[in-house]
Order: sequence, then structure tokens, then C-alpha cells
Amino acid sequence: MIPSTHVSIATRLLYREAALLDERRWDDWIALFAQHCEYWVPTWRTEAELATDPQRELSHIYYASRAGLEDRLVRIRSGRSPATTPMRRTAHCVSNIELLNAAEDRLEVRSTWANHVFDPHHRTQLVLFGWSEHRLEYGSGGWLIARKKIVLQNDQLPAMIDIYCL
Amino acid sequence: MISLAKSRIMHAMDSQYLATLVDDRLAQGVFRVHPDVYASSELFDAEQKHVFERTWIFLGLESQIAKPNDYLVTWIGRLPVLVTHAADGVRRAFFNVCRHKGTVLCRLESGNTRFHVCGYHGWAYDAAGRAVDIKDQPSGGYTEAFTRDNHDLVPLGAFASYKGLMFGSVSAQVPPLETFLGEMRFFLDLAMEQGAQGMEFVPGRIGFTYNGNWKAQLDNSSDAYHLTSTHLSFMEVQRRRADSVSGNQAARQFDWKKRFEQEGGAYTFLNGHNVIWLNQSEDTKRPVYPQIDEVRARVGDLKAEWMLRLRNLTVFPSMQIADSTSLLIRTFRPVAVDRTEMRYYCLAPIGEAAEVRQWRLRQFEDFFNVSGFATPDDTAMYEDMAVGLKAAQIGYVQGYARGIGVQTAGPDALARAAGVMPISSASGMFDLQAETWGHALYREWARLMQSGVAGEPAWPQAAGAAQ
Repeated sequence: MIPSTHVSIATRLLYREAALLDERRWDDWIALFAQHCEYWVPTWRTEAELATDPQRELSHIYYASRAGLEDRLVRIRSGRSPATTPMRRTAHCVSNIELLNAAEDRLEVRSTWANHVFDPHHRTQLVLFGWSEHRLEYGSGGWLIARKKIVLQNDQLPAMIDIYCL
Repeated sequence: MISLAKSRIMHAMDSQYLATLVDDRLAQGVFRVHPDVYASSELFDAEQKHVFERTWIFLGLESQIAKPNDYLVTWIGRLPVLVTHAADGVRRAFFNVCRHKGTVLCRLESGNTRFHVCGYHGWAYDAAGRAVDIKDQPSGGYTEAFTRDNHDLVPLGAFASYKGLMFGSVSAQVPPLETFLGEMRFFLDLAMEQGAQGMEFVPGRIGFTYNGNWKAQLDNSSDAYHLTSTHLSFMEVQRRRADSVSGNQAARQFDWKKRFEQEGGAYTFLNGHNVIWLNQSEDTKRPVYPQIDEVRARVGDLKAEWMLRLRNLTVFPSMQIADSTSLLIRTFRPVAVDRTEMRYYCLAPIGEAAEVRQWRLRQFEDFFNVSGFATPDDTAMYEDMAVGLKAAQIGYVQGYARGIGVQTAGPDALARAAGVMPISSASGMFDLQAETWGHALYREWARLMQSGVAGEPAWPQAAGAAQ
């Protein structure tokens, strides 16, 4: 039996992560990730099969540590990326939160996400959606994300995808 | 030359109007392209017919259908195409269309099957395209005329491979593939000979759609001039990595500062093809580098040296190889005048060492992915071009002028040493960033459009390359 406190820890963290992206509080957002966090958005191999090995197959994004996400923030804040100017506005919805595994200092969580994205430049909008798997670990910094895998279901992508689109 | 205002109201099929679209007066130092070329939906419909359906189009790699009964599904312009590998060992290309009602026959992008069965009424074809079953034919009350009729899949007009790259043409009236590729074969070899056991696409589907004309992508792969404005954010990220401020070193990406100290250039070739190149200051960061001794022994010093240079090439109209970071094949499919579907493939040696493969993947994703650091900034510009080019009132765009002043006819010393014969060469330091590559593209586009509208053959010399 998984204690309900674990469910609420996971729920709170996932909701926070989504809200911080929507509010563009990048420093607070990245602080939710452990230094050793793996961040992975696999491609689909075919219509039906997801890629399973980021070392042998293409990923949309693969970072073995938080440093890759830090690079992303440099780009977002540079003011020099046409695809990022003006910034798209997002509304991340996270639901169907399910604890797959729980230990004292470690939670495996599956959730479903839908992200509504508005482009104020072309005045167009779209929805990206899929599911995520988080591994949360408890350490001196409290509960942090130690692994995030994002499955993107609609993978004929628009002209740009960044971390805040997922 | 008729006025632009007048040209706007003339019908796109008018040959006088077509002749104004590419203002090709190199002798006077002028090469300009009219906004309608990128923005007119009438021209878009015409170019499906006169360009995409009258020349060779890249379909895929032979290694994608390595085994008997493997198949892949692709497109030529708006037409669905099926490429098979039959039990007789022969690869063939067909329209991916059932003869019964014209339904798309094969609905998956790739797979392995002895028989392709239409989902609608169950007509079945073998991998060689023969109709092997008209479902319930005996009870169908068919006439003899029907029975006598051919029900097989309809092959493309032409199909051929070069070094594992498969091409097809809707029209049979095309020159042999090797003639069409011409001097580009040297540059294709530089990509396809990197692996001792051949080349493959790394698994993983990268596809995206942008709201812009396909020619924005056609241009961009050769365009070195935009790097220092469109990709400033990537350069900033890269500077932090080079200075070890960033801990993300997995892509082993290049130090852009060093590129400015290098010599580079652009070549144009017959039939619309082009190549740009840049000498390489950091050859150890190329994923081919760990194998370079083996490569050198197999293909010789000249090709090995060229493999370490940065090279981007376009095989007109819709296939590009970029070997500027890790090796990419890119295809694009125009679906509307302002909508283009892209596919990106990571091309790699078969049997590559696991640690090199990892590095290749990270370098590819970092730069080329639409979820990466460079491509989204390009496509943002393509979408802005689609908006801006509706204003044909601005007159001819001026994006093919850089380098005309230093361009020479024929090969430069580097090309001559490689034994390749471009139509034109423009070389200098990296910041020359010549745009002369565009002349090949738009001359070929104009040639195919003008001959098509006039009802003349695209390739007067071609007897037809039979499948």
C-alpha cells in the first residue's frame, strides 16, 4: 500500500514544475532537478514503437545531466533566438498521476500531460500531449527530479520545440 | 522585362511571366528571384507537375530495405510511393496506390511483408508489385476484358540507386541517375563511403512541418551567411561550453570562433545541384575521425581529407546532405505553397562503435533537431519569409548576390585537385559566405518550369531510364 503522503508529494512537485514553466520562473524550475538528472524525450521508431535506448537511437532531447537543461535556459534568456522571440505562452495540464513505485527516498511517478501553446507572433495555437515518467529522489535539497522521461504522442512536430513546449 | 505590377496580374502559366521570375544576368552581376517563386499558389501547383514529377527524387537508403520483403513508404511531391525489396532480390518503386479504387495501399511507413493487401477491398500484391489476388474474383461477374487488363502496381517511370541512395522519377523521360547526379557523385561518395560496411539511418523518426515554402529549406542548407545572425543563441551556448562554463559537453560541438579563420566556398553544378564547403580546424570533433585511418586506407587520401571538411550539398530539388556537425540527410516535401513537411535522418556507418554512435547522436540532436538549438531558429525565419514574400511589391529578393564578384567559371584549384568540374566556384575566408549556390537551384527550377509550361521535354537527350 502506497502511503497517500507519497501521492501528495509527487502531485505537488509535478504541479509546481508545470506552473513554473508556465510562469517562466526558469531558476525556480531548474532548481527542481537534481544535478545528475537525466532528461529524455525519445523519438518514435515507427508509428507504433517508441525508441528505447538513447545511446543507440535518436532522441528529440537527451541530457545525461542537468547541464543540458542549463544550456537551454541560456538560449531562452539570450534574446537572440528568433524561435524564442516573442516567447510562446503555455498552459501545462498534468493529470492521471500514478505512483508506480515508492520507497522512503525514491518515488516513480507516471502522469499524463497536455500543453497548450500559443504563439503571439503568428497568433496560432497548438496542443502537445503525452505522458511522463518522473523519478523523484529525496536528499539534502528535499524532493528533486532525478529522471524525467517525456513521451510526445504527436510527433509530427511544429517548426520549433523547446523544453517549455513539453 | 515586364513590370512587376503587370506580372502579378498575368496568369502563372504565361511563359513570358515565367521568364521574368528568375532574373539571371550574371554577366551584368545580377541574379535575383521574384517573390512569386516562393509565394504563388498557381506556381506551386505547376511546380508539382513540372519540377517534382519530371526529375529524380531521393526515396531512401537501400539499407532501409535490406532484407527480402522489406518495404518503405515515401512521397514524390504529393504522390504516394512504395519501395519494395522482393524475394528475387530486386528493389522496385511503385505508386503506393491500389488499382481497384485508388486507395493508398500500404498504410505503414515501413515493414516486412510478402503481400501488400489493400485495406479497402482486399486486393493483394506481392513485393514485386504483381497483383496476386483480386478478392473473390470467380464470383464477381467480371468480364473477359477485365481479366485481360493489367492489375499490377504501377511502377514509377524510373528507379535507380547510387552508392546505396535510392532515387525515383515519376517521368520515365529522365537521364540515367549517374548522369543526373554528375559531379555530385564525388560529394555523395564522401557521405556514403564513411562506413566500411555501408551506411544506415539511425533509428528514430524526426519529422516536422513548417508554415513556409519548400524553397526556404532548399536555400538554407547552403546558406552560411545566416549563421552569425540566426544562430547567435546557439553560439552563445557554444561559447560557454568551449570555456567550460557549461557542463554539457556530450555533443562535442565545434568552437565557432575557429571557423572564421578557415577558408570555404560554394560550387554550383549542372541540374540544379550545389555544394558548400569549409576547411576544418577541429577535425577530431568529427564522428568520422576515430575511423579516419581505416577510411583513408579504403578510399584514399583525397576523399578522406574531404570527409573532414564541412560540406553541405543539395541534390535538386529535395534532398540535402549536411556534414557540418554530425552527418544528416534531409528531405522535404511541399504540401502547399506555404506548408512543408520535413524528414531528418541521422546517417551513420553500419557497425559503428557504441561510444562514437553516442557522440554522433548528441551532436546531431544538439544542432539539427527541431527540438535542438539551431533548426528551430531557421524554421522561424522560413515562416517569416512566407509572411513577408506575400508582398511581391518589394520586387526581386536580393539573396543570391553575395560572392558574385569573386565567383569564377569552372573549377577552382581545390575542385580541380579533386577532379570535379563545377559550373562555378566562389571561395574565400569563411566570412565570404557566398550565396552563389542559389544560381544552380533557381536556374534549374526555371528551366524545368519553362520547358514544362511550353510542353517541351525536361531532358531532351534522355531516352528514358527504364525501371
